Amino acid sequence: MRVNNVSLSYGGEPVLEGASLQVGSGQFVSLVGPSGSGKSSLLRAAMGLQKPFAGTVDLELPRSEVGILFQDDALLPWRTARQNVSLGLRFRGMGKRQALKKADEWLARLGLEGFEDRYPRRLSGGQRKRVALAQVLALEPKLLLMDEPFASLDAIVRTKVIQDVVHLVEKEKIAVLLVTHDLEEAISLSDVVYLLSQGPRAKISQHYSIPIPRPRDLVRARLHPAYAPLLEKLWNDLSREVEGTGSADTKAAA
Amino acid sequence: MSAFANTIMKPGYAILRQIVMLAIVLGLWELAGIYGYLNPLYMPRPSAIGVTLRDLFSDSKIWMHMQATFTAALLGLALGVLAGVVFGILAALVRVISELIEPIMLVLNAIPRVILAPLFLIWFGIGLGSKVALAFVLVAVVIFFNVFGSIRNIDRRLVERVITLGGGRWALIRQVYLPSVAASVLQNLKVSVGFAFTGAVVGEFVGSSRGLGYLIQFAQSSYNASLMMALVLLILVVVLIIFAIANQIEKFLMQWR
Repeated sequence: MRVNNVSLSYGGEPVLEGASLQVGSGQFVSLVGPSGSGKSSLLRAAMGLQKPFAGTVDLELPRSEVGILFQDDALLPWRTARQNVSLGLRFRGMGKRQALKKADEWLARLGLEGFEDRYPRRLSGGQRKRVALAQVLALEPKLLLMDEPFASLDAIVRTKVIQDVVHLVEKEKIAVLLVTHDLEEAISLSDVVYLLSQGPRAKISQHYSIPIPRPRDLVRARLHPAYAPLLEKLWNDLSREVEGTGSADTKAAA
Repeated sequence: MSAFANTIMKPGYAILRQIVMLAIVLGLWELAGIYGYLNPLYMPRPSAIGVTLRDLFSDSKIWMHMQATFTAALLGLALGVLAGVVFGILAALVRVISELIEPIMLVLNAIPRVILAPLFLIWFGIGLGSKVALAFVLVAVVIFFNVFGSIRNIDRRLVERVITLGGGRWALIRQVYLPSVAASVLQNLKVSVGFAFTGAVVGEFVGSSRGLGYLIQFAQSSYNASLMMALVLLILVVVLIIFAIANQIEKFLMQWR
């Protein structure tokens, strides 16, 4: 997936200007930046939910092979876990019985066996997030776009769900573009992290290659020698952006 | 005695407490009537109301009156829900239709709609039509605003979820809009039933030759307080039974809530 010089506005105000990034096959890429820098807008543009006023987003694969996970699980409250997971499969023309069978398989794979007939209201936050994940992964996407999908989860559930995601994307070789506020999460999960400058008219000011080998374990990744220096650098760069003194970096990156 | 008092004051015994309280009120009312503290012309004893109710049912004509009221209320309810849903959806989705319908509905919502009863009597005659029309207007306005609001305020995240999963316009209607509309109608089913019976009874009260409203009007003109109270009690019981049925339908169809 390639984002080429994309400029976006929100409510008529320009939030992002000339952003470019790419996500290679099987690569895990994170996008971090200050609040209001247009991270989510960039992802929405990639999802086709927002139109850039300049630049292009080239998915380089059919939209049907792109999976999207929002911050809110956004499950249909009137459909059971199984029905929610089977939705996308049904939209792609799969028969009802086969779609429900596949939904059950994915729910079991994500540890939700026995919860298939529950409505979202009767599931915990972590379980709902897993259902939303199963809903997306059941479509066997080649590219996964995630907008702070774990933000609403408590620390323990969050670690478990993220570990599940890491295992699955590594195993299925799914490319990922993750928008997050969490620098530790970005470094421990990603191959490349992009940093956005302070908005309005935010730009991609830096990018960092993460040399931690795969397969990754979330806890062990944080013990890797490269982790702490990277976190420190990313934190310092982000702080400069938030304080408005990061223009030198932005110019250097440009 | 103390143990009994403690037991009956527990939260689980609320219904028992209510029944006991009702029995005490009825008992005092009956005694006040027996000892001449109440004028039976204005305030008949509960036992007298019970006898009137029994007499109503021993005379098979009551079924004809109940059938008339039920027919008007249920027809008005069905047509009102149908119109409310159709126009609510159209107004929410098509701006031009919204511009035409919303002001009319706002006006109808602003006025006490039962004042239309005499007009409907002139337009549709003394028969079933004028009662159905009043029940229809009462129900349709409520359902319209609920359906209109439920679509206008639809959770955008659900819409985007369906779109990003590959769903098209039909999928959006089937998976998001229709369930939202159904939920909105079901949540207002009890209110609508109440309005439908109000419309039917008031319509009959204003001008009719049959129906519970007609009987109430007859009781009023003949100064028969006992018959009046028996009919009020009968309507109350009927509406409560329909409320209970509507409640069960809502519970069954809204298990996801």
